[in-house]
Amino acid sequence: MSEMTADVLIIGAGASGAALAWSLAETRMNIVCLEQGDWVQSTDLPGIATDWEVRQAADFNFSPNTRGRREDYPVNDSESPIAVSMFNAVGGSTILYAAHFPRFRPSDFKVRTLDGVADDWPLDYARLEPYYALNARMMGVSGLAGDPAYPPKEVPLPPVPLGKLGMTLARGFDRLGWHWWPSDSAIATREYEGRAPCINAGTCLVGCPQGAKASTDVTYWPVAVRGGVTLKTRCRVREITVGENGLASGVIYYDADGVERRQKAEVVVLACNGIGTPRLLLNSRSKQFPDGLANRSGLLGKRLMFHPYAMVTGLFPESLEGYKGPTGCCIMSQEFYDTDTSRDFTRGYSFEMLRGFGPVYSALWGMQAGRLSWGADHHRDFADVFDRTAGMVVICEDLPDEGNSVTLDPALADADGIPAPKITYRLSENSTKMMAHAVARGKEVLEAAGATATVVESPLRLAGWHLMGTARMGTDPRTSVVNSWGRCHDVRNLFIIDGSIFVTAAAVNPTNTIQALALYIGDTMKKNLATLFDD
Amino acid sequence: MTEDFSVDQQLLETLLDVVIPPSADGRLPGAGTLGLTDTIARTVRQMPMLRPVLEYGFSALAELATRRNAGGWAALTPAERADVFAEFFLPAFLFLAYSSYYQAPRVVEALGLEARAPHPKGYPMDEDDLMLLDAVRRRGKMYRGC
Repeated sequence: MSEMTADVLIIGAGASGAALAWSLAETRMNIVCLEQGDWVQSTDLPGIATDWEVRQAADFNFSPNTRGRREDYPVNDSESPIAVSMFNAVGGSTILYAAHFPRFRPSDFKVRTLDGVADDWPLDYARLEPYYALNARMMGVSGLAGDPAYPPKEVPLPPVPLGKLGMTLARGFDRLGWHWWPSDSAIATREYEGRAPCINAGTCLVGCPQGAKASTDVTYWPVAVRGGVTLKTRCRVREITVGENGLASGVIYYDADGVERRQKAEVVVLACNGIGTPRLLLNSRSKQFPDGLANRSGLLGKRLMFHPYAMVTGLFPESLEGYKGPTGCCIMSQEFYDTDTSRDFTRGYSFEMLRGFGPVYSALWGMQAGRLSWGADHHRDFADVFDRTAGMVVICEDLPDEGNSVTLDPALADADGIPAPKITYRLSENSTKMMAHAVARGKEVLEAAGATATVVESPLRLAGWHLMGTARMGTDPRTSVVNSWGRCHDVRNLFIIDGSIFVTAAAVNPTNTIQALALYIGDTMKKNLATLFDD
Repeated sequence: MTEDFSVDQQLLETLLDVVIPPSADGRLPGAGTLGLTDTIARTVRQMPMLRPVLEYGFSALAELATRRNAGGWAALTPAERADVFAEFFLPAFLFLAYSSYYQAPRVVEALGLEARAPHPKGYPMDEDDLMLLDAVRRRGKMYRGC
């Protein structure tokens, strides 16, 4: 069945799709967004019930393979030490993210010039800065101005509380003379644009029933829908179709009942994340594009970057009240962010502090860490771990490598029979050395903060949250998939706005930069509407 | 326990007590006395991949117990049950036991917490004293301009 032609068709209602939909809504064009997941109701979120920690391991697991919801698609990540994490719904992975919301630093866009590795981006920090600021206002970012690790920036809301745990860790950094700063967090610490303030419930990673955490279903989408954007849920796109003129003509998708439908469009925008976007383009082969749509460079799906994570957890002799407060955000450190030629690796990493666990996760963590016995000594061991842990994740910059890739799995498919992605990824020698350095420094700062023992998980397997680089931007069609404003070199009415287009990964969470790029691309599209498809 | 998953109730409760016995001071109960059956059944429904592992595990435990004592698991002493569980270690059961026990209101309250969901009440937190940041501020700009 045929639908009315959309002026702009956005595929994916997550971080970037929402921001672009909102940005374009003011044009009053016919904008349609197809999302394979559904709206998540606050009453469906685990945090309103006492089994919320168990559901984090079940139907709100980070891994689509474990969740296995109909709207999920499986990912073959058996050839990767890092497993893919994502969520499929209106809001995408922002439903489950920690809302840690740092910007990239100016040097992150110039890594070839400054450090002689990878490539520079075709745009710079100054170009994106107004969009970072706009995104901060739209998402409601909390934090503290004056961080010497960044150029001056706007922070609309006061920081999330550090609490006893955060202050304990901060004293460790202070004793070593290392940088630390209250995190920028996409969490409303005051009432903000109709959203209730954070109540420190600590359930961020399974969604926020309070609506304080800025998932895009409570930030951009309500405004975009009021502005006239049509958001269709439970619609899974199978392929992008191409006309005789070589331009994208629309998509074929399956609706909620599994019925095949078509949506024609003048402009198609991919916002499906660094795995979903190359998957869809590789599934859109045609006579004109036998190797996948927009893949004449041969780079589609290549240069996959995660952020290799390690987790270092300290055991402390006193209660830290770690079950209180936003889970992933209190303070961060960029002491080891930049390249230092005295080290045996290039580029660097951030530390991001974590809260402690509730009773259930304390027990499960203790079991996994080998610090909790069953039987006669169980209660003694549990007393040593419950409310006595504080730690951090190390987030390392991953340099692009064409051997790390997303391809189509020859056998695996989703519930609609669409071929699923396969990840091939190895940790580089640079990342391995960087992680070893970071873990050693992590232990050092935890001990300085008073930890009596530390537990290390490195690399952290279920930590493939940040999916980047698989359709990189650049000025040369031979070495990039999209130009500096997200338009595919090979298909001039096809845009990509998610983490796929990243040239490099930096060493911070990417959502803020993904959304700043989407807003920048939206603005560029609006300014060039009359000449959008010109050379 | 559920339509799809069933286990001998006595085996379940005595095994729970093997894994989490009462605390020496009596403050925390043994897991087998808390009536965790419904919680465990719910978790198995939420995580169906556990079911075959548990069914196989319980069957293996019962068989091992019978090899020790013709009367089976029920005839073993607590110490013998612990030996059997150690011999056929079942991490999936530990997951179930821990996740169920530490949700139980009596246990949560004994840990000094309110037995409730985190939402909608949340937790109060005090304001922080950020004077400690002065040393960081004094370092000045630490990013590369470009």
